[in-house]
Amino acid sequence: MVELTWLIPALPLAGAAVILPAGRRLGARAGWVATALVGAAFAASVAVLAELLSLPAADRATVVTVFRWIAAGRFAADVTLRVDPLSMTMALVVTGVGALIHWYGVGYMAHDPRVGRFFAFFNLFVFFMLVLVLANDYLLLYLGWEGVGLCSYLLIGFWHERPAAASAAKKAFVTTRIGDAALLLGIVLLWIHAGSLRFDAVLGGGTELSTAAATAISLLLLAGAVGKSAQLPLHVWLPDAMEGPTPVSALIHAATMVTAGVYLVVRSHPIFEASAVALPLVLAIGLGSAIYAGLASIGQFDVKRALAYSTMSQIGLMFFAAGMRMYSGAMLLLVCHASYKALLFLSSGNVMHGLGDETDLRRMGGLRREMPVTATWFAVGALALAGIPPLSGFFAKDHIVAFASTSGRTAAWVLASLAAFVSAVYIARPLFLAFAGERRNPGRAHEAPLGMQIPLALLAAGSVLTGAVLGWRPEGLLDGFLRPVTGALEHGEGGPSEAVLLLVSLAVAVGGVALAWWAWGSGRVEPEAFPRRRPELAGWLAHAFYVDDLYAWLVRVPGAGLGRALRLVDDRVVDGAVNGLGRDVARASRVAPVIQSGFVRSYALLFLLGATVLLLFLGSRI
Amino acid sequence: MRTPIAAYLILSGILFALGTVGVLVRRNALVIFMSVELQLNAVNLSLVAFSRMHNDLTGQVLAFFSMVVAAAEVVVGLAIIVSVFRLRQSADVDQARVLRG
Amino acid sequence: MDLVVFWVFAPISVASAVAMLLQRNAVHAALFLVVNLFTVAVFFLLLGAPFLFAVQIIVYAGAIMVLFLFVIMLLGVDRRESLVEQLRGQRLLAIVLGVGLVAEIATAVRAGVGLGARAPDGFAAVNRGGNARALARVLFSEHFFPFEVTSILLIVAAIAAMVLAARRTAVPADREAEQRDRQEVRA
Repeated sequence: MVELTWLIPALPLAGAAVILPAGRRLGARAGWVATALVGAAFAASVAVLAELLSLPAADRATVVTVFRWIAAGRFAADVTLRVDPLSMTMALVVTGVGALIHWYGVGYMAHDPRVGRFFAFFNLFVFFMLVLVLANDYLLLYLGWEGVGLCSYLLIGFWHERPAAASAAKKAFVTTRIGDAALLLGIVLLWIHAGSLRFDAVLGGGTELSTAAATAISLLLLAGAVGKSAQLPLHVWLPDAMEGPTPVSALIHAATMVTAGVYLVVRSHPIFEASAVALPLVLAIGLGSAIYAGLASIGQFDVKRALAYSTMSQIGLMFFAAGMRMYSGAMLLLVCHASYKALLFLSSGNVMHGLGDETDLRRMGGLRREMPVTATWFAVGALALAGIPPLSGFFAKDHIVAFASTSGRTAAWVLASLAAFVSAVYIARPLFLAFAGERRNPGRAHEAPLGMQIPLALLAAGSVLTGAVLGWRPEGLLDGFLRPVTGALEHGEGGPSEAVLLLVSLAVAVGGVALAWWAWGSGRVEPEAFPRRRPELAGWLAHAFYVDDLYAWLVRVPGAGLGRALRLVDDRVVDGAVNGLGRDVARASRVAPVIQSGFVRSYALLFLLGATVLLLFLGSRI
Repeated sequence: MRTPIAAYLILSGILFALGTVGVLVRRNALVIFMSVELQLNAVNLSLVAFSRMHNDLTGQVLAFFSMVVAAAEVVVGLAIIVSVFRLRQSADVDQARVLRG
Repeated sequence: MDLVVFWVFAPISVASAVAMLLQRNAVHAALFLVVNLFTVAVFFLLLGAPFLFAVQIIVYAGAIMVLFLFVIMLLGVDRRESLVEQLRGQRLLAIVLGVGLVAEIATAVRAGVGLGARAPDGFAAVNRGGNARALARVLFSEHFFPFEVTSILLIVAAIAAMVLAARRTAVPADREAEQRDRQEVRA
C-alpha cells in the first residue's frame, strides 16, 4: 500500500481536474464528487497508516518515488513522497477533517451559482496541502506551499464581486508572499550549504550545517512559517480572510493551511536546533502571538473574526511548544485544534445560515432556544478550546503549559497560563453572546438541515475524544508515534509538582469561562457596555492594537509617494519628450519658411552661396 | 604678347563677380538684367583669352555664339519685363513676392 | 605695347562696372555699361580677335544696349531706385561672396595657368588669311550645326518678343480679363 501513497494526493487532484471543466453541468453534485474523493483519500491514508504501524518503530520512514520532475544539468529533482509518522499524522488530519468539511460544504454552498467551481478549488487545495505534508524534500514542499497559497487566494476571493473579498484575497496573498519569498531564500541557502533538499539527506541527524548557516536558514524558514500561519508580524491577513465562505475559513484558515507553518518548523527541527537563536525566537513569536491575538479576539464583534484571532492564538501556542522542543505537544494541539476549531467555524456557519448571513454578535443572542443542536456543537467546541477536561483541548494545552514549567521556563509558564486564561475568556464570550440571554435581533432563526449536522457531530466527537486518546500524558500515544521523527521529550526537574500544575490549568480554564459568563452570560448581556464605558481600550482591542492600520500606513505612504513620483516622471519626462518633440517640430517648421521669403534676390543669394561652396569643395580636391 | 594670360582671366573673374553682386543688390529689373550682361561679357573675355592661350579658334567661336544668344535673350527678357511692368506698374523685383512660403 | 594698353584699360573696365552698380538712374547705369563693353572690345583686339572686337561694338554696344535704353525710356527715365536695402544682410553677404568668388577664381587660375604664363607665339598661324576668314573656316565647317540652330533661335526670339510685348486689342471682354488679372496679382 505504501507504494500507492501517491493516490492520497492524486484523488483530490483528479476531483479538481474533473470538476473544473464539468462544474456547471454537475452543479450541486460536484460537492458529492469532491467529498467522496477526499473521503477516499482519507481511506487511503488510513490504509497507509496501517501498513506503517505494522513496521517496527525504527523503520517507519519510507520514501516513495513517483516520477522524475526536473532534470537540468547537475540539478535533478524527483517527486518523492515521504511516509513517516509526522507526514501521516498531517495527512490524516487534512483528509479526515477535510472530508467532513467538504460534506458540510455540500449543504452550505448548495444555493451558490458557482458551487462547482468552489468544490474544484476546494479539492485542489486538499491536493496541494497533501503534497506539502507528504513531500520528501523542500522543493516539493514549496510547490505545495505555493499551491495552498494560490487556493487560499481563490477561495477567499470566491465571491469576487464583493470588493471586500477581492481585497482580502489580495492582502492574504501578498502578506504570505513575504514569508514565501523568505522560505524560498531559505531553501536556496539550504541547497547551497547542504547540497541536497531531501529530508532524508538534510534532516537525517547529521546536518553538517555551520551554526551561521543553520541560523540563517532556520530564520528564513521561520519567516515563511510566520507568514503562512499568521503569527506576528505577518498576521494581518487572517482576520480579513474571513470574507471567504465559512467552509473555507474552517478548512484552510483553521485546520490545515495555517498549521503548515507548525508542520514546517517541526519537520525542520534539526536545522532549528543547530542554531542558537531560532527556537527561542519561535517560542517568543508563539507566546507573543498567543497573548496578542487572545486580547484582540475579545474585542471583536464579528464572530468569524473573533474565531480568526483565536486561531492565531492557538497556533501561537503550537509555536510556543515547538520553541520549547516539545514537538509532539505542538502536534497534539494541532490535531485537537483541527477538530474543535473546524467545529466552531462550522457551527458559526450554521448560525449564519439560520440568521441569513448574520455575523455580528451584537445582533445575536438567545439562539439556544431556536438552534439547540448548533448551540450544543458550539459549546462543545468552545469548552474544548477553553481547556475544560475531559475535552481534548484540556490535554493538549495543559501538557504544553505544564512543560513550560517542568522545563524550567517559569516566566514562560506564567505567560502561557495567562494566554490559556485569555483563550478561555475569548472563546466563551461568543458562546454566551450568541446563545445565552435573550434575542437581540428580531426575526426567525432556523436550525440547519441534517446533512449539515452529521459532519458537525463527527467533529464534536473528535473534539471530545482526540485529546484523551492521543495524549492522556505528554508521552502518550501520539508522542510515542511521532518519536522517531521528533525525538524524545526532555523534561526538567524542579518547579511545582504535577498536581499543582494540573490544578492551575484547571483553574485557568474554569476561571476564564466563569469570567466570560459573568461579563456576557448572566443578566448583564450588553455587549456594547464595555466599548461604551472604555471606548479607547475597546478600540485598541477591536482593532487588534492597530497593527494592521500601521502596516497600511507604512505601505500606503511610500506607495503613494512612489506613485506621485512616477506620475511626475510620466508627465514631465515621457509626456515632455513626446509633446516636446511635437513642439520642437512645430517650432522648426515655423523657422524653415523664413527662407521662402518670396524675394527673388534672396533666392539668387542662396544660389551664389551654394555655388561658392561647391567651387570651394571642388577646388580643394584638385 | 607680353601680358600674362592670367591677368585677363582674373580681370574676367572680377567683372563676373561685379555682375553677380549687381544681380543680388539692385532692385530695378533692368539694372539686374544689365548686370547679367556684364557677367556674360566677362565670360566672353575669358573664352577669348583661353582661345589665345591654346592657339585654337574654338574659344572665339564660342564667344561669338554667346553674343548671339545673349542678343536673343535680351530681346525676350526685355519683352517679359515690359509685360510685367504693364501689369504691376513697377519694375521693382522685390514687389514680385506672391510666391512667398 | 599691349601691356600699356592693358593696364590702362583694365582699371577703366573695372571702374565703369563699379560705377554701373552704383547708379540710381538706370540710364546712367546703361551708359556705364557701354563704356565697359568698349573696354572689353579692346581686350578682344589685344587677344587677337579683331572680328569679335568689331562684332562686340556693333552688336553688343550698338544694338543690345540701344534696345536696353529704349526699354528704360519706355518705362520711365526718371525712375529713381531707392538705395535703402530691404533685405537684411543681403548687401553684406553679396559683397563677401563676391570677394570670395574672386579669390576662388584667382586661386584656380594660379593653380591652373600660373600667374606669369605668357601666351604662346603661334597665334598668327591660326589667324592666317585674317581673323574673319579663319573664323569662317572654323564656323562653317566644324560648328555649322550650332550656327544654324542659333539662327533659328534668333527667329524664335523675335517672335516671342512680339507675342509677349504686344498690347492686347482693346476688346471690352479682354480689358475686363486684364483688369481681373491685375487685381488678383495685387492681392
